[in-house]
Amino acid sequence: MLTRELAIVVYEGSRAHPDRLTVKKHSHYVDYARRMADVYARGVGRTRNEIHRDVHAIFALEEECPPRRIDAFCKLLDERCEYNRDEAGAAAKLRQQVFRAAAPLHPLVTEADPWFEHNEQATKQQIATSLGMSWEDIDNRLFADIIEFHRLNEFKAFEDPSALLSRYNVAQTQVALYDATHLTVWATADFKTVLRYAKLARLMHVIRRSSDGYRFDFSGPASLFTHTHRYGVAMAKFLPGLLSCRGWRLQASLRPPRWHGRIMLEFDEHCGLSSEVDPAAQFDSRLEEHFFERWGEEPREGWTLSRETEILHHGQTVFMPDFVLRHESGRSVMLEVVGFWTPEYLHQKQQTLAQFPDHRIVLALAEQHLQSFEVPTANTILFKTVIKVEAVLEKLRSLTF
Amino acid sequence: MTEPALRFQQGTLTLEGWTAEAVQKVFGKSIWSWDARSLLWRAPAIAYPGIEEALASKSEGTTNYAQQWQTVNFAKVSLPELRAEQQQAVDSWLASRRGLVVMPTGTGKTEVALRIMSETMCSTLVVAPIRDLMYQWHQRILRALDYDAGIIGDNTFNLKAISVTTYDSACIHMPQLGNRFKLLVFDECHHLPGMMRSDAARMSMAPWRLGLSATPERTDGRHDLFTELIGPEVYRLAIDKVRGKSLAEYSIVRIPVHLTPEEQARYESLGLQVAEFMRDSLENDPDFTWEKLCANSAVDPASRRALNAYRAKQAIEDRAAEKLRILEDLFRLHLGSPMIIFAGSNAMARDVSRRFLLPCLLSHCGKRERLDYLEGLRDGVYPAIVANQVLDEGVDIPAVKVAVVIGGMSSTKQAQQRLGRILRKSGTHSAILYEVVCQDTNETIKSRKRRASDAYSGTRHRRL
Repeated sequence: MLTRELAIVVYEGSRAHPDRLTVKKHSHYVDYARRMADVYARGVGRTRNEIHRDVHAIFALEEECPPRRIDAFCKLLDERCEYNRDEAGAAAKLRQQVFRAAAPLHPLVTEADPWFEHNEQATKQQIATSLGMSWEDIDNRLFADIIEFHRLNEFKAFEDPSALLSRYNVAQTQVALYDATHLTVWATADFKTVLRYAKLARLMHVIRRSSDGYRFDFSGPASLFTHTHRYGVAMAKFLPGLLSCRGWRLQASLRPPRWHGRIMLEFDEHCGLSSEVDPAAQFDSRLEEHFFERWGEEPREGWTLSRETEILHHGQTVFMPDFVLRHESGRSVMLEVVGFWTPEYLHQKQQTLAQFPDHRIVLALAEQHLQSFEVPTANTILFKTVIKVEAVLEKLRSLTF
Repeated sequence: MTEPALRFQQGTLTLEGWTAEAVQKVFGKSIWSWDARSLLWRAPAIAYPGIEEALASKSEGTTNYAQQWQTVNFAKVSLPELRAEQQQAVDSWLASRRGLVVMPTGTGKTEVALRIMSETMCSTLVVAPIRDLMYQWHQRILRALDYDAGIIGDNTFNLKAISVTTYDSACIHMPQLGNRFKLLVFDECHHLPGMMRSDAARMSMAPWRLGLSATPERTDGRHDLFTELIGPEVYRLAIDKVRGKSLAEYSIVRIPVHLTPEEQARYESLGLQVAEFMRDSLENDPDFTWEKLCANSAVDPASRRALNAYRAKQAIEDRAAEKLRILEDLFRLHLGSPMIIFAGSNAMARDVSRRFLLPCLLSHCGKRERLDYLEGLRDGVYPAIVANQVLDEGVDIPAVKVAVVIGGMSSTKQAQQRLGRILRKSGTHSAILYEVVCQDTNETIKSRKRRASDAYSGTRHRRL
């Protein structure tokens, strides 16, 4: 992610517009991106300073590009680099040797005279000789541990030049979110993934039904008292996860420092930002997919099956069953598939479910993990490799409402 | 109903198992807010003293899981006898155990804090502005209280009953640390009231708080927050009270330098660019300001060019070649007297270091290197050191009598801090501060501003 100093955001009225490269206006940037990648690819052994200077030089004739944008490119490219940071402390050791050798000869004067006889150039040569190096070499290494003078070891290029530009667009939106105090997401799908990424970013939620799905309000513990942007970084971290989802709209309230009043940042799934995290599908197992297909769209014994449409929540405890079975009579049963589990996991799950006594929840447990452990049978089904439709129907028949 | 419990969670306090009526009756309404997200009551951790008192006096049966601090016994306290004004500062603070102690740099604020720590004997977190000062506190605590304090910051997380940290680390970690310390010491506490940094105070339950500063006034007016975050000012020692007593007499010598003809030509042409841009902008928009220019520079190429010209101009002043020649003269003049050079930028500090092969103390320096330089200067191993921001505040430096400022900011606070550095009483020698300033440039103006501060008033000014 970028640092705050690299943010480019234009505030227009009460709206924030993070800097954005578009195909329409910035198609020539693809060529810049290629040339920047070249500078890095050929930059092994050079200092960060030199590499950054060369990257800036690429844009010498580009009127439209603010230096911050170039600095941001450098930061994003640096993130794919490994620099020699002199962790062994060779430079510090060299400095100590050089400064201690020079101390008795102080001051190093431009022209020696009878009172001050240590000429700068000659003294430096003399110190270099005593250390068995050339002065140029010493001068090169003297500050090699300082970030600007780190030397590049390795660069992992982006898959193609435009990937840097997409990464840049996401990064500028993320850095704009550093100033966010509250985040609202309206979702019509992928609720589970949205909440999972929010939890990973350690955000707190409020969940409400909306017309065609759910509305999630994200904030942090202290947001209750002040409009703090302390959780803005967490919100920025949440963004790539959200970008991998379908059917969402986001609204963030920003309070930029030294800016009075509230600023809004809004965009949705069609914003053109692309995520570098894996799509939501990866979380789901084949098991559920298989069962869903087998059941089919038609009702069975009056029960219709739908996937991940319901969120049960109590405070910060959330339960999102894999399936909801709705009967034509209006009754409903939730079905949660537990493919891999341990007794501790199951115990925790049961505790979560106990928070929702008003709902009928059935767990489908994989038999292979069953040890000598007693499983409560009232609300569980066991399965071997696939969940059988008939087993579920049998359980439904046995339930009394 | 859940068991009534008070907990510390992520820099806040939570209260469970209480009805709205009970909360209202015991606490009054303002302290707790109902948090519908978690279905419990929540309050900022800083409100703890009042909450604890109300719980103890008006209620029973609530388990306090929040408070996690302890008593600390120091095996051996070796502190020098305090001077009268230091003792007065300690006593004033101990009377209320909350508040600010304002003393000029060099008058022994650290000793005041160490004495207070030895009296309060509880879990204490010391918050310092920068890494170097954090390590310095660690050393001072070790020497005075014989306690190897924990370090939180600089990629270390070693939590102990007595710990030291920086403002940035405190802000990041306070959600996890806020229930562990009974006493917070904010060194150079004018750093605290930033928007985010003040969380370091808000997210802590500590009932006892000590703020130390020479210059608590902030240009942004946020110093009013001190009362809320630390407490009221309990003691102030004015700089003129101590001049000539614990601080040395000093004089300031201003040395004008001229740019080389090439530098001068470039300086003027850059200045012209900026001036022209400002004139044109003012014609279009009578309210045009420098701030607007900076804001526009992200999107407007012309503003950007003007800003770049301005920066290039500053860089010329900052790194004027003539300054190195003047330094050479000063080194000749004060041979045998340890010196400190303050540069205006890291680049200039390195220029000086490379030219004269003098240690250059910058923020990247590790703990060991820093100690080597400072002790080396004290013990005469190194004739001089050059620094940028790192020595601006509170870093203990050996009794140096000659300092040279070759660039830097114009703010009064920085000038006072820098002066404080060299004004340590040692024998009868009076200290000299040289200011090497580019003539006919912005630096002349900055230098004038610096001298307007009260630390400079009554000092002698002469030109070489």
